[in-house]
Amino acid sequence: MARRKFAALKRFLDYIGLEGDRTIFTWISASEGERFANVIKGVTAKVRALGPASKLVNKL
Amino acid sequence: MENIDKKLREEAKRLLEEKKVGVLVGYETGTLPLTATPCFITNPEDAEKLVWNAFCTQNLAKFVHDLISQHRESQKRVKPEDRKKKIVGVVARGCTTRSIVLHLQERQYGRDEVVIIGVPCTGYVDGKRLSVLAGGDDIREGSLEGDQLLVKTTAGEKRIPLQDALAGNCLTCRFNNPVLSDLMIGAQAPPMKPEQEYTEIEAFENLPTAERWAYFTKEMNKCIRCYACRQACPSCYCNTCFVEQSQPQWVGLGEDATDTQVFQLMRLFHMVGRCVDCGSCVSVCPMGVDLRKFLKKIDKDVFELFENRAGSSLEDTPPLSIFKEHDKEDFIFNP
Ligand code: SF4
Ligand code: SF4
Repeated sequence: MARRKFAALKRFLDYIGLEGDRTIFTWISASEGERFANVIKGVTAKVRALGPASKLVNKL
Repeated sequence: MENIDKKLREEAKRLLEEKKVGVLVGYETGTLPLTATPCFITNPEDAEKLVWNAFCTQNLAKFVHDLISQHRESQKRVKPEDRKKKIVGVVARGCTTRSIVLHLQERQYGRDEVVIIGVPCTGYVDGKRLSVLAGGDDIREGSLEGDQLLVKTTAGEKRIPLQDALAGNCLTCRFNNPVLSDLMIGAQAPPMKPEQEYTEIEAFENLPTAERWAYFTKEMNKCIRCYACRQACPSCYCNTCFVEQSQPQWVGLGEDATDTQVFQLMRLFHMVGRCVDCGSCVSVCPMGVDLRKFLKKIDKDVFELFENRAGSSLEDTPPLSIFKEHDKEDFIFNP
């Protein structure tokens, strides 16, 4: 069900004009330390490539 | 239409007299020309007020839910053995019956608590569109003659083809005949143009990201957070809406543009598998926000991803309460 929600959310955010790469979803088990590190590295790389977010940002 | 009104009144009167329903939700002629407004009838004699025509805009399933949940709430103070059921009758076109199906799927009330008087629908007039077509002047008088609207404005008289004034969701409606009913009034309505239902969405999907974002922000900037859309929506029935919760506070209440966008995003996303495209939110919006551009996309995605059309069949399970092994997962990130 989480998979379904994310499938819909990702498509929708992309549709309204948020870069698709900002919404990232994956499965990691608590015992997969190395995978966790890899995923985070991957996510940071993707987000770096996009630069700072300017959409849906609340300036306080 | 005359005949439908007559039959509708007879059936409504009978249901009330035989006490098959405690209250009947329908439409009566509105106070402004070319409008109809929801009405609640308990006295059989008042069934004479009922109408069914092209000016009936709001989805009445909203009131069915409100009436039943309020009644249930009031029964909590009554001894269990003295509790009574309230049976609500409702005049329902296609999208209204879809909302009722949705309520039933979501266990909001029982099938025995609602009596559905199904009516065929050939679309309703979009008030905002009509006022543009009438030249923006106040409509003093109006009538429907065949497929032409005769409109008298402060500036003069105009003839407007009914077809031009119909709401966008009606033109491409797939379910203009009830999907569930206890009794039907009138013959099946001819089909609309469901094959074109996603044309507008596909065109929007093909725009560059920046343009889509610009459109989203432009539309959401119009929103004044009156929440009329939420109030009108039969699928928005939470006792406390997330916008009004303070612990935690999901979204700021100020006039910050981002807060408004987040409010809209969250409401829109709550419509996954739940929006029946009745257009009630669009028709009540005082600012003319193009909500449908986003709602219909959700509908399209849900159909493409989960092969579900909200409330189209009582046998369906809400798409977000189940999963299938072969659901798409190409979006999952795997470094
Ligand atoms: S979101 Fe709008 S169109 Fe969809 S069910 Fe609610 S009121 Fe109807
Ligand atoms: S009805 Fe229109 S203005 Fe009011 S909250 Fe909804 S979108 Fe905003």
